Amino acid sequence: MKYKVQRVLATIFSYTWLTASVLIALAPVSWMISAAFSDARRLQDVPVIPNLAEFSLNNYREVFTYRSSSGAALPDFVDSFLTTLFIATLSTILVVIFSSLVGFAVTRFRFRAKKPALLLMLGLQMFPSFMGMIAIFIIFRVFGWLNNPFYLTLIYVAGAIPFNTFIVRGFMRNVPRSLDEAAMIDGATNLQVMIKIIVPLAAPIMGFIAVNAFMGPWLDYILPSIVMPNNETVAMWLFRMQEPTPAPFEPMLFMAGALFLAIPIMIVQIYMQKYITYGLTAGAEKG
Amino acid sequence: MNETPLIGRLLNALKRFGMGIVNKFKGFFVALAMFFVGIVRAIRNFFQSIVSAAKENPKSFKKGLSSFFLMGLGQLRNKQWYKGVPLLAVFVIVLLVEFISGDYIYAPGELQNYPPEDTLYFFRDYGGLFTRGVWGFLSLGALTIGMQYRGEMIVNEDFAYNWLQADNSRTLMGEGVIIFVIVAVIIGLWIFSIRDAYKTDLKIRAGMEVERAKDWLRRVWDDYFAYIIILPALFLITLFILIPFVFSFMVGFTNYDSAITLRADLIQWHGLTTFRDVFGADPAFRDFFIVVLGWTTIYAILSSITVYVLGLIQALIIESRYVKAKKVWRLILILPWAIPGMISLLVFSNVFGTDGLANRLLSDWGMVEGVRTFFEMVGLLEPGGSGSIQWFTNPNNPNMARFIILIVNLWMGYPYFMLLITGVLSTIPQSLYEAADIDGGSASQKFRYITLPFVIRATAPVIITTFTFNFNNFGAIYFLTGGGPRYRTADVPQSLRGIEPGQTDILISWIYSMAFESGDHDTYNLAAVYSILVFIIVAGFSIYYLSKLKSFWEED
Repeated sequence: MKYKVQRVLATIFSYTWLTASVLIALAPVSWMISAAFSDARRLQDVPVIPNLAEFSLNNYREVFTYRSSSGAALPDFVDSFLTTLFIATLSTILVVIFSSLVGFAVTRFRFRAKKPALLLMLGLQMFPSFMGMIAIFIIFRVFGWLNNPFYLTLIYVAGAIPFNTFIVRGFMRNVPRSLDEAAMIDGATNLQVMIKIIVPLAAPIMGFIAVNAFMGPWLDYILPSIVMPNNETVAMWLFRMQEPTPAPFEPMLFMAGALFLAIPIMIVQIYMQKYITYGLTAGAEKG
Repeated sequence: MNETPLIGRLLNALKRFGMGIVNKFKGFFVALAMFFVGIVRAIRNFFQSIVSAAKENPKSFKKGLSSFFLMGLGQLRNKQWYKGVPLLAVFVIVLLVEFISGDYIYAPGELQNYPPEDTLYFFRDYGGLFTRGVWGFLSLGALTIGMQYRGEMIVNEDFAYNWLQADNSRTLMGEGVIIFVIVAVIIGLWIFSIRDAYKTDLKIRAGMEVERAKDWLRRVWDDYFAYIIILPALFLITLFILIPFVFSFMVGFTNYDSAITLRADLIQWHGLTTFRDVFGADPAFRDFFIVVLGWTTIYAILSSITVYVLGLIQALIIESRYVKAKKVWRLILILPWAIPGMISLLVFSNVFGTDGLANRLLSDWGMVEGVRTFFEMVGLLEPGGSGSIQWFTNPNNPNMARFIILIVNLWMGYPYFMLLITGVLSTIPQSLYEAADIDGGSASQKFRYITLPFVIRATAPVIITTFTFNFNNFGAIYFLTGGGPRYRTADVPQSLRGIEPGQTDILISWIYSMAFESGDHDTYNLAAVYSILVFIIVAGFSIYYLSKLKSFWEED
């Protein structure tokens, strides 16, 4: 009898607790959706729960046709979206190639510079990265790279290599060496071993790195704000829209744009949750 | 009387803890010292080997010498065209770049027109990329707008006479760092060229066959494969991480602060002055630094612990046998983690604005006064306020803003740990629980002695990385409160006006606003010094933690 009461109480408590958690988790999300599809002019007038009777696509109409005074050829949001898409795609490709090369080198070869190189990468990661911005700005100006998304991508790639190298290293260590040794005996070269044996085996970790590298640049604000002063990315667009000064201050458009960007990323993240235990080995954590 | 053993034990524990740290870092410092000793030894060996080479094999040494005077010449004399031609080409290209980027062709004519004794800075006026780069880095410029030089006035820009342009110390410094790296690579090639010429000549004299181009390429490709495949990555890291790192490190040793207007003023090497300011020469800097460092540490600790504990609780509740539809609950609860951090933070900064969602909901529900009284009681708000609640803007009490920062961080962060711990829970062997059941262990005992130790051991590395991540979690502060509430101007000492931190700023966000968002007060040298300190703290912490993690150091 006593056991049963305890059981009922525990059940009630669990469900109440979880329901409360769900409400807290969903309230801001619901408010975002409500604001994105609302006709209101001010955020203060937006209800937390979307009002289906007042459903409106006006915000999106404005977001996709928004022009700053510069009179760009494409609507601004679409423009920044495409720029960011380019950066993210290119950075994915380069990060996967470079970090698997480095990861392969440090797990499969003994060479004198290995330990210093690993330590250097580890150490450099710990310096506040934007303090290098003044120098990056000077480099970009000297070489004429300002406002060029390609070179911005290279910064992301350089920044992502150290961390991903450690992830690849953690993974490749567990790929038995006997495989490559057998291939070597059969006369395969280093390059063949890498392409035909290691890369296929490491495919899952490559997928993980690819997705991370693709997500990284989407909502990075500081770097583009310094090296792309005229050529916006979506993060700059979002930030600008919700800052009271300077103009334009359009929090409703911010909400619409933010939701538009958040949804694909959320889907990917939820799909990626099965990889979360990689964090145990590599210390991966979302920012 | 009873207290003595307790204090003794405490002191002992403290001593052990201290010794533990000293021992850990002793290894680190010994390694560091060995590193420098190694460098010195390598340099000595290098010169010794040169001397002995000259003594023992003077003829081969001459071959090396020819590569010393003209990079690649020794290789050409060894009939190794495939090495000699590229090396020579590099040498020629370097000379060409130096000549074309410089103004040497104007030098003879202008030196006649202007008295040579007035030409104080030959490399500044006519030097190319390399010589001017080195000059610029060492001197950080010499002439600014309005100065008289060779009887002319220095101006902001002059396209006809480069030497009439004012020096931009910042650009000179940045270019200087780049040039040093390029020069280092060239010197490396040069040394290679000399050694290679010498060694190949030894082989020729010993009657061995000289390696042919194809064999050489094959050998390099096989033996140096690891180096070759990391080369592109190394190049990118050097250009975009290492050089900027060195540059900002250097800025800490200059006087580059808000008083400097580029081209009108010169930046100067300043030694350790800024470091001295930070550590007590200027009490204002020291006091604010301690306040900000304290809050940064508290924030990093609390935000890591709260997300961990709540994540553990949620995982345990969802995994308990009382809850059905576990997957559905989990799916909904991880939504906050799936939303990009920047977007959540910006949305929350709107929620907690003075006329944001939080205040509106409270007033709709008629709860403003009740909530206000509650927060006044727990000390997050000043007693006696009225109107809507100032979440982020109350200058008298930053604790409200700090509290909200921790709550928002909790909202965003705990689902990650919930997922992680759920994964760990499923790996605990059931046999442990069965054994506990047989021994009559209660639920709380099972949790205390089986679940908790297991989870903590599995997730310990992540707790550490979460801590270091939060220590540098720029976005959590910048996008949410922007560092606010600000200090009252009267509370800020004169020397810090314009670059003072906000009351919720952590070190990293203070550094950013100090260097980039203080308008006329932008202060780089102080920001660089603080960056170095952050670097030392975080790196020290990570080294300590990695030294415990044996698997990291295992040979592959």
